[in-house]
Amino acid sequence: MSQAVRHLELPEQQLPLEFADYHESIKVTGFWIFLTTDLVLFACLFATFAVMRYDFANGPTPIHLFHMGPLILETALLLTSSFTCSLAIYQSRAQNKTGVLSWLILTILLGIGFVGTEVHEFISYVGLGATWHKSGFLSAFFTLVGTHGSHVTFGIFWALTLVVQLVKRGITPRTSRKLYTFALYWHFLDIVWVFIFSFVYLVSMTGGKMA
Amino acid sequence: MADRLYPSHGTGAMNQVELVENEDSIEISSLAPHFAVHKFPWRQVFGYVASLVLTAMAFILVINHVLPVSALVSVVIALAVLQAAVQLGVFMHLRESRGMAWQILVLGLGGFIALCVVAGSIWIMMFKSGVA
Repeated sequence: MSQAVRHLELPEQQLPLEFADYHESIKVTGFWIFLTTDLVLFACLFATFAVMRYDFANGPTPIHLFHMGPLILETALLLTSSFTCSLAIYQSRAQNKTGVLSWLILTILLGIGFVGTEVHEFISYVGLGATWHKSGFLSAFFTLVGTHGSHVTFGIFWALTLVVQLVKRGITPRTSRKLYTFALYWHFLDIVWVFIFSFVYLVSMTGGKMA
Repeated sequence: MADRLYPSHGTGAMNQVELVENEDSIEISSLAPHFAVHKFPWRQVFGYVASLVLTAMAFILVINHVLPVSALVSVVIALAVLQAAVQLGVFMHLRESRGMAWQILVLGLGGFIALCVVAGSIWIMMFKSGVA
């Protein structure tokens, strides 16, 4: 090896399974590129919300609708699920199949708790007459938060397929790469949620004007 | 913590052939991969505690309403950006890769586009009152 060029940081045998296999490692990079396009999608929805946020059309306003209780519960559930998901990856690197499955199933349960709370929240809004036909603010709100919620719902079904594959095949280069990309997706949704609770809920609750 | 196994980066025209031949070679030192290996998941615990603290700070500031509104909005957004950085660095293993961590570059471009779309929309709407 030449002095001027560094190659792999670790020798191939010491890399985690998903990176030790050359083709699986390319798929991880591909998944990062997908996440970037998803980031741009959410940026468009955030921009739409920023523009529409004061267009109430005499309908309900954030002060009427948003409450701290469900918001804190949803945030706690999703932040904790991000943590348990990272522990699943940690256990996968320790080749501990039971550990991976336990943390992954806990992640799924926390995700279901999040989606359930959010669906409950949306139903209560509709009960107050706050549907997405009502105003620009509500259209933008339901589109942004709903797109995030449907991403989480998709992630739950994805994780369920991973549970089945891990039980049947164990921790292989393929299943560990699938678990790793799922974790990237899940943490990414957590980041999007951080911006939703900050930018959509908390800023609206301060009554602060952004534009 | 895994240390670098290879000598640090330098340049030399002599090595160009080898750069092309090996798909895992690292030509840009800022994109060099990094793996953290620990006996106990300290990093993950740190990331969780940090995310809880940053979130609690944002909520407490809004509930108690101690700052003027414009400063409060800026602080809440700053806390969100900080928390996104924690999630990326600790939970998403941003610097893990085989060969160069190209995702840093791709994500940087995506983040730049996202910032332009969101900040540009907010900025242009500030002129709404001048038109009406």
